[in-house]
Amino acid sequence: MKKNISLESVSSFILLLAGFLLFWEWLRPLEQITDTGNVHLFVIYTAICFVTSFLTRNGWAKFVIKSVSLLFILDYLFLDATLLSREWIQTLTLELRYNLAAVWKNDWVLMTSFFRSFLFLLLLWLMSYLLHYWFMVANKFFLFVVLTFVYLAVLDTYTIYDGQAAMIRTFVVSFLVLGLSRYVKLMNNVDTTHRKQHVWSWMTPVLVIVLFATILGIYSPKLNPQWPDPVPFIQSTAGHVGFSDGPVQKVGYGEDDSQLGGSFVQDDSPVFEAIAHDDIYWRIESKDLYTGKGWERSTELDFQELTNGNLGWSTFSQQVETTSYNAEVRPVNQNQLPKVVYPYGINRITSLDQGQFFTDSEFGLIESESSEQNQNLSYTIEYDAPSYAINELRDNSGDDPAGIKEQYLQLPDSLPERVSELALEITDGEDTRYDKAQAIESYFSTNGYVYQIEDVSVPEEGEDYVDQFLFETKVGYCDNFSTSMVVMLRALDIPARWVKGFTGGVEAADQPPLPDDYSLYEVTNNNAHSWVEVYFPETGWVPFEPTSGFTNPTDFYLETSGDVNTEDYMIDEEETEEETEQESSEVEQENEQLNPDEDESEVGGADNEEKGNGGNYYWIGAVLLILAILATIIYRKLTELRDWYLLKKWDRLKQRLEIEASYVYLLEILEKRGMPRTKGQTLRQYAKEVDRRLGTSEMYDITLAYEEYLYRDQPSLAKDNKRLHGLFQQMIDQILA
Amino acid sequence: MDYGNEVGQILENIEKVMIGKEREVTLSLVALLADGHVLLEDVPGVGKTMMVRALSKSLNCDFKRIQFTPDLLPSDVTGVSIYNPKEMVFEFRSGPIFGDIVLADEINRTSPKTQSALLEAMEEMNVTVDGMTKSLQKPFFVMATQNPVDYEGTYPLPEAQLDRFLMKLSMGYPNEADELEMLNRTDREHPIDEIEAVINKEQLLNMQKEVDSLYVDNTVKRYIVQLVSETRKSPYVQLGVSPRGSISLMKAAKAYAYIQKRDYVIPDDIVYLAPYVLSHRVILRPEARYEGVTQSSLITQILEEIDVPVRKELHG
Repeated sequence: MKKNISLESVSSFILLLAGFLLFWEWLRPLEQITDTGNVHLFVIYTAICFVTSFLTRNGWAKFVIKSVSLLFILDYLFLDATLLSREWIQTLTLELRYNLAAVWKNDWVLMTSFFRSFLFLLLLWLMSYLLHYWFMVANKFFLFVVLTFVYLAVLDTYTIYDGQAAMIRTFVVSFLVLGLSRYVKLMNNVDTTHRKQHVWSWMTPVLVIVLFATILGIYSPKLNPQWPDPVPFIQSTAGHVGFSDGPVQKVGYGEDDSQLGGSFVQDDSPVFEAIAHDDIYWRIESKDLYTGKGWERSTELDFQELTNGNLGWSTFSQQVETTSYNAEVRPVNQNQLPKVVYPYGINRITSLDQGQFFTDSEFGLIESESSEQNQNLSYTIEYDAPSYAINELRDNSGDDPAGIKEQYLQLPDSLPERVSELALEITDGEDTRYDKAQAIESYFSTNGYVYQIEDVSVPEEGEDYVDQFLFETKVGYCDNFSTSMVVMLRALDIPARWVKGFTGGVEAADQPPLPDDYSLYEVTNNNAHSWVEVYFPETGWVPFEPTSGFTNPTDFYLETSGDVNTEDYMIDEEETEEETEQESSEVEQENEQLNPDEDESEVGGADNEEKGNGGNYYWIGAVLLILAILATIIYRKLTELRDWYLLKKWDRLKQRLEIEASYVYLLEILEKRGMPRTKGQTLRQYAKEVDRRLGTSEMYDITLAYEEYLYRDQPSLAKDNKRLHGLFQQMIDQILA
Repeated sequence: MDYGNEVGQILENIEKVMIGKEREVTLSLVALLADGHVLLEDVPGVGKTMMVRALSKSLNCDFKRIQFTPDLLPSDVTGVSIYNPKEMVFEFRSGPIFGDIVLADEINRTSPKTQSALLEAMEEMNVTVDGMTKSLQKPFFVMATQNPVDYEGTYPLPEAQLDRFLMKLSMGYPNEADELEMLNRTDREHPIDEIEAVINKEQLLNMQKEVDSLYVDNTVKRYIVQLVSETRKSPYVQLGVSPRGSISLMKAAKAYAYIQKRDYVIPDDIVYLAPYVLSHRVILRPEARYEGVTQSSLITQILEEIDVPVRKELHG
């Protein structure tokens, strides 16, 4: 028997340990997705709670240990004064009074970090109690496992948290423990002295299967997500309007890119219609000078008049293979677009009224003479769409011209070191310029960077736009992605520039009669976009598309196998504009500084800016957790309530000493406990079954007495009423236990 | 309840001869105590005769055996009057039916005329020979055996006649271990010779009276009626259980309760006995056979469907 006891306590310890490990997975992401700091302290506190629950059954001892350690952690984090000194207690009461008042007035935001941490620790306490109950008492492990998986999956999908490792850990821990808890449950009914041998014959296959499945799962090939990022879709479907405190702008094309960042709202008003052979990208201009906040031009614009509409410059060299097409562009709204949009490979541009065009070859800007008076004039473009040979791009071995180096490698001195370190890390192992560019291009979509136009931060004073996106927020739109790629490439001494324009738009519903392969496309403000061009010495400028969810429409092919990689798939999305609201964003930033920052702790030290991202999660998560706990407690209490009611009923029956009512009552509670009598079952058969299932013998004795009462001529009950009464009591205690 | 121990001893005695057949032995004793008769449907050589002999020896009763053959006449069963020239009168020589315990072997081998002589005696408790009616003495217990019906040269008993048997049993072959034990026991001396009487005729009659006076609660009676009437409603049944069947079931249940040393009947008794008491009283429609429903499976199914009483029935 001694062996059995030790086995049980070992297995329950393992169960609890696993519960703790799983709960740890709940705490881990907090550091990333919320502004919670010092997570290790919370983990330690959880561990204390778990261990206390395991070691002692004395409710008071548990209470004292848990509250003392809670106080210690709060003291360590926030309270400078000596523990339990007068000053200390004063601070404590002050904090509590202030925060309770804030809570009372629904001013949740005004709560101090101290109080938030206090509430969070209380939550951990409750959770540890709850988990202890689930695992140890109710022996229900599965529900929590499922909840953990759901939690991780949701976080992985909707936040920057990368749940891959967490999933694997959770899988291994939970399945091992599910196996073990199943075994413990089975063994509850079996009274054998060979449990210890069985343990290994049971756990070995469990262990092998779980490890095998894990390894298989890790190394087997996986499909890429069919739907890379559902967040924008869900938000647009739900009609969600961002409540970020940052400047909100309308999507569209703007000329001033010196201060990037901030949120956008959708704007699907049309900008121009285009007849083209494909939903190609429409280029407007490039920019070369990164300031740490946005893009500017390093030199003044220098417009030249076009002769006969011939452009005289190209973004790529003569060696690149091209296909000739025509396109027609018709601007829709007045003043929407003061610039000419054009496809890659443009040769010649003409307008119907023979108006003059001017161009700046350095930045690729084209303007029409008539843009002042008649903006809605349509123009036709002849262009040779380039197809880049990947082999040639890889073989580009020449040196960059000095002018290109000088202009397109500029980076601000203030650029943090870790940006270039990250660039080196990403391109580690890549030899060619093309492969490096591609590594960076695909880095974002595979590393948890989220495309969204709402709640996008503006870098603060002294903060770098790229650095903030790469390391802090990981949330943004095309400007964030494209700028980050250009900056990282430049950090690797690869000339690159930032390009603005529009994506191809959608095919219009009503198509006019057009030659084969041509379609009419509608391009709206939502299609405003920015991307990257990388310089290759022999090829010229090659477009790249780092933004998650977008696909580069440019044609790349491998010379050996002919034409590859012609993806026409596009998601309509949006772009930026930010002439507006500059002041308001500054006001916001000032507010942030005014906001009282109570303590040195990071816990809950949210300023307005961060609340837009993390603070909401923090609070929604906390509220959900509390609701879940309440629901569980109510559910548990419900059973207790029912039991209490049943017992009360029994007390009444006891007074009346009626065997029939008592027996019928017994049948009732047995049925409620999942052991109903089937129709044709005689009382004896039923009693035997109940005794077998509950491991009792009272039911049969009671049934014999009841049979006598029911079927005998003159029942001889009175004499051993007391004994029968005892039997009933024992049976009911057994059932309700 | 005075004879409780004797019942145990009788069973013990018979089990010395019949190994592994407690159920059939108990049921036979139930039929005997309930003043009924048993029909054994079985192949030859499984120990029917041995059981009846052991039973009659334990009860110190007169044992008679009739081997039914196709040429057996009613008078071979009942007896015949013979002219005594010395005294110039007809004297009645009683037939084997006048025994206390009668084994009617292979009853379906004889002609219906002879069969009905036996069945009439079982029902009326008297025989009529040459215009004279002679009563049979109690105790009177007939154990009739028949080969499974499908054999050649048999006269199956009419369904109406089957009703006169309290229960129909089937022994079947013993299992291997029991058969081995049987060989061991009969190796030197047959155990039947060692059996000694436990009670006498007088005591047996008293026991039968006691069984008859056992209390059956209305709740249980209603359960029986419900069960029997359910057999008449079943779509598989052409002819359901007769009221005689209800009475038989109650009688048998009393005897079974008596053997269990209980002075009242509980539904468990009914559930246990119903397949043996009711099966042969049900005539199924031909469709039933196609659907694999047999008489005993039908009874078992009905038992599962009707509700066993849980509360006491209120009188009045």
